[in-house]
Amino acid sequence: MKVLTRTDLEAVQIPRKKPITGARAIAEAVKIADVDVIAAYPIRPYTGVMNALAEMIANGEFAAEIIVADSEHSQFEIAKHASAVGARTFVGSSGVGLLYAAEAIAVTAMDQLPVVALAGCRALDDPGNFGMEWNDTLFFRDSGWLVSWAKDPQEALDMTLVAYRVAEDRRVMLPHFIVVDGATITHIAAPVDTPPKEDVTEFLPPYRPHYPLDPAQGPVTKAQHIAPSLIGPEQRKHVDVAMKRSRDVIAEAWRDYADYVRRTYDPFIETFHMDDAEIALVTMGAYTVNALHAVKEVRRDGIKAGVVRLRYFRPFPAWDLEKVLSGVGGIGVLDFSYSFGSPDSAGVVFNEVRAAMYGNPKPALDFLFLGGREPKPADFVKALKVLHKYVRTGDTPEGKRVFWLTLRGEDV
Amino acid sequence: MSGERRQFKSVKEVPPEDYYTSGRRTCAGCGPALAYRLVLKAAGVNTVVLGPTGCMYVANAHQFLTSPYAIPWFHTQLGGGGAAGVGTAAAFRALMKKGKRRLEDVNVVVFGGDGGFADIGFAGLSMGMSYDYPRLLYVLYDNESYANTGIQASSTTPWGATTTFTPSGKVRRIGNERMKKNVALIMAAHPGVRYVATATLWPPLDLMNKVSKGLGSGGPSFIHVLVPCPKGWFTPPDLTVELSRLAVETGLWVLWEHENGRFRLTYKPSPRKHVKNYMQLQGRFAHLPASEIDMIEEVTEREWEIWAEMDRTGKLMVP
Repeated sequence: MKVLTRTDLEAVQIPRKKPITGARAIAEAVKIADVDVIAAYPIRPYTGVMNALAEMIANGEFAAEIIVADSEHSQFEIAKHASAVGARTFVGSSGVGLLYAAEAIAVTAMDQLPVVALAGCRALDDPGNFGMEWNDTLFFRDSGWLVSWAKDPQEALDMTLVAYRVAEDRRVMLPHFIVVDGATITHIAAPVDTPPKEDVTEFLPPYRPHYPLDPAQGPVTKAQHIAPSLIGPEQRKHVDVAMKRSRDVIAEAWRDYADYVRRTYDPFIETFHMDDAEIALVTMGAYTVNALHAVKEVRRDGIKAGVVRLRYFRPFPAWDLEKVLSGVGGIGVLDFSYSFGSPDSAGVVFNEVRAAMYGNPKPALDFLFLGGREPKPADFVKALKVLHKYVRTGDTPEGKRVFWLTLRGEDV
Repeated sequence: MSGERRQFKSVKEVPPEDYYTSGRRTCAGCGPALAYRLVLKAAGVNTVVLGPTGCMYVANAHQFLTSPYAIPWFHTQLGGGGAAGVGTAAAFRALMKKGKRRLEDVNVVVFGGDGGFADIGFAGLSMGMSYDYPRLLYVLYDNESYANTGIQASSTTPWGATTTFTPSGKVRRIGNERMKKNVALIMAAHPGVRYVATATLWPPLDLMNKVSKGLGSGGPSFIHVLVPCPKGWFTPPDLTVELSRLAVETGLWVLWEHENGRFRLTYKPSPRKHVKNYMQLQGRFAHLPASEIDMIEEVTEREWEIWAEMDRTGKLMVP
């Protein structure tokens, strides 16, 4: 039987902390943010958030236009155009749904419209698969969207509120993905503190666009076709500068948020046991918890391991990552993404981490969890042991650098 | 929010203001440009215009950083017209209901081409017509091909027309072998739809009055506007309006409206001219032998029996 710690006791004593699913938690954030237009289309597992929002609106908990779209492409177009008028918007999808919307997703960033979307990660077809992979969301790696990755329902709620603040900041004006590791977060309940609306009104003031598409504000022509020589590079640079500026805006937003809700987060990177770590697992999202359990287990055998969790994928916190990893002898990436034919035939996140560490390279291994098969606790322990041995001896099983940990049969 | 339904009884009543003006590079004799001008004159200043990709996206700017729009305008993706209209209308409704914007009638006009509304954006258009947003008007400007990319067939290209995807060759002689999709009839078949109509550049007041009726109908509306395209139809630029008139007088383009569940013809050609009067002016039909044109005349004659019956009964049928 688990012995309750002081933190656990506090959790049950705070009356406003209730066990709700991640989908419900994000819906609560959308309600607190007083979102005006929501566009829904069903696909598992993200769709729970839309079920929750539809119920809230039907019961008069808050007022918003909720559109049942004919496709994900329409969903993201609806959100984009509502945002252009001056509405605060919410949208989302999973897996192939995100890819169906890809065109609309891409232009939203180039239009610099602060749409906030939930990406509930799901393995891509074919074959159809309810499992979790990161490849759906990482398709939008290069799109100009801000991308943050929540580890639990509480953080998903907090990230949603912060996302609106950052996306709508005049220095940024970019759309924002809140990413959760599929059903692990959307469908699993955890204690969540939902801040009262009054507590965050000042933190998140109403959205006031610069040049809304509204006749009351006079004529404006948006996204007119251009000859590439006219403003092609300048427009791209505009988005680039917004993304670069978001770094400070994100840090500032999380600092402010902590003042309002009395919950603090390191904005970009969360670390565990990194003070004396000789090896580190780098990951994102919900499975950080499994990594942490594995670290505790191997530490009993004297292996000094730590965990580094990226909270943002875009902007990619290379500056912080290099700092927190500067003291370790080797890195293992826990990777639910893959890029066929990429350098070393490895994961998307692995190659991003390696690129971030280019100035201070470390021995690095990629541990893959692909095709949606649920990892076992032993997989994480194995990853740590392989990495530990690699750092000590330079040897890995069969000399490999990339391991398909959940694969049955030969990993060729 | 029910709106005014201003009707223009004569050309003298047409407002002098234009919201679609200079600052574009449309072709000489461009039918869509004339349609844009008339539609926006009728819609007035309190209007947001949305433009899915199409020839009227690229032709309305590109060369210089100019805009022909004196009212708010925003691009949407080729398949995004239906959703763009819904998103825009939903934003106005939400902001007004929640007291974030003053209460007012704002028109949302989405101009989709035949590619944008009959093909890639067909589902989105259907979705838009299934909602209840007032003052949301979808205008299909139908020049019967993908005219910007070099005249490729769409699902509204008429049977027998040559396009770069459906050329008339030695073995495949006819050119386009698909029948023109009747998008307006499909839109009228949506449940509870208040106003659906067809129009062309002639008579111009017919188009403007239909715009006014659609916007004032209390729900989403749809107007299918046939617009001659000199580039794609291989016609002289000075014949654009004349071709519109002939399309109506030969009965190949049927002017009708479907208002609150009742169908009626808004123009009955009498006597109806032979379709050759319209087709022989166009290079895209030049390869068709007289026998094929006579066959189209026969089909048109048979279809007009149905159109006449629809006018009599006020009910939708499929010709």
